[in-house]
Amino acid sequence: MTSAPGTTPETNQTDSSASDGGLPEPEAKTRARGIPFRFLIPAVIGLDILAVLLVPPFPAGGSPGQACGYPACWITSVIEFPPPAVVVDLQPATAPASTPMLYFHPSISSTILTMWIVMVLLLLMAFVATRRMKVVPGGLQNAVEWAYEFGRDFAVGIGGEAAKRYYPVFAGFFLFILFSNWSGLVPPIGKIEQLRAPTSDVNITIGLALTSFVLFEGEGFRRLGVRGYLGKFFPLGEFRQGIGAGLLAMYVGIIELFLEFVKPVTLSMRLFGNIYGGEVALAVISALTLAVIPVALYGLEALLNLIQALIFSVLTLMFILIAIEGHASEEHAAEGVAGTTARLEPVSAGNQEAAAA
Amino acid sequence: MVEHIGAGLAALGVIGPGIGIGILAGMSSNAIGRNPDAAGQIRGLAIILAGFAEGLGVLAIVVGLLALFLK
Repeated sequence: MTSAPGTTPETNQTDSSASDGGLPEPEAKTRARGIPFRFLIPAVIGLDILAVLLVPPFPAGGSPGQACGYPACWITSVIEFPPPAVVVDLQPATAPASTPMLYFHPSISSTILTMWIVMVLLLLMAFVATRRMKVVPGGLQNAVEWAYEFGRDFAVGIGGEAAKRYYPVFAGFFLFILFSNWSGLVPPIGKIEQLRAPTSDVNITIGLALTSFVLFEGEGFRRLGVRGYLGKFFPLGEFRQGIGAGLLAMYVGIIELFLEFVKPVTLSMRLFGNIYGGEVALAVISALTLAVIPVALYGLEALLNLIQALIFSVLTLMFILIAIEGHASEEHAAEGVAGTTARLEPVSAGNQEAAAA
Repeated sequence: MVEHIGAGLAALGVIGPGIGIGILAGMSSNAIGRNPDAAGQIRGLAIILAGFAEGLGVLAIVVGLLALFLK
């Protein structure tokens, strides 16, 4: 290589050492970084078109090789219905003929299988991160500690100081639902019949919502006692201030009781609808336009899955905090949710003053 | 046949959250314009509130799915 008069001494050094074989790295780096995107994108599009030509889609329930017209049959060959596919049937004798949306039949479905895989991965990560813990952490333990503190600051910002006690509940729900949602975007899991994102199944989201319901009701009963907690819905003490005030308080209490049972329904349906609807939308778009355009929807789905996991866990935390508040301090709970971000400002200002002093 | 019409009508319920998230977007942009220092907090709050509104639209879709699949 000829060296132009304006080259830096560094390139002269690499010239001389490349002939020695001492520093091959700068040249190798430019070569490896040099697969430009303008080759990759047509390569992916070509691969998609080749796959459709070699393995054309066939009607659902049929065999490969049957005819399949472009819009309608391509879409229905990819869409999966809400009830999950059964992997292992635990009671083959009483299997229902056509599966309705909710049925009670013990079987291991594709969503349960994926849920076990996600659980094993999460527990493995927790085990590896906390094995032989050092006082000055490094590597995986450092990353997990950073995530723990970040989540705890977020939970305290949402719920106030009382949220510190229920932070494990928040983090547990958040991590499990987040990785369950995102597992539906990993390539084999949406498309093989044996694997499917766990939270795209009504049964699993109803189970999660029921767990959350038992948690916040249980915490309310434990903290306030049975009479105290039921006294929030049926305030019999208001009758002392006249029949009118008493009847009004009972009316409000009955509406609040109704809302208590609406909470797990909305939690489960919100999560199921978002994840299952996202799966269906992604399948339809991928069937209609093979490449490039589904990537945008893929990114949107990743963001929405994160937000839905966050919302489920934030709502559980808030329901717990509202349930353990006494009747007199209910205004503090409501204002705490909206105003805690403002409350963080004086704390940080105080820290800055203390640090500067 | 009637369940298809029912499912289509149920899907119209997604108009509500669409309008709601639009109003949220407009008002939060307004608030960021008035107070650029609070942009981080407003952005975080807006994302969470949009998720709530989105969930209600999903309830409409679930009603449509129920109409189609419950015989």
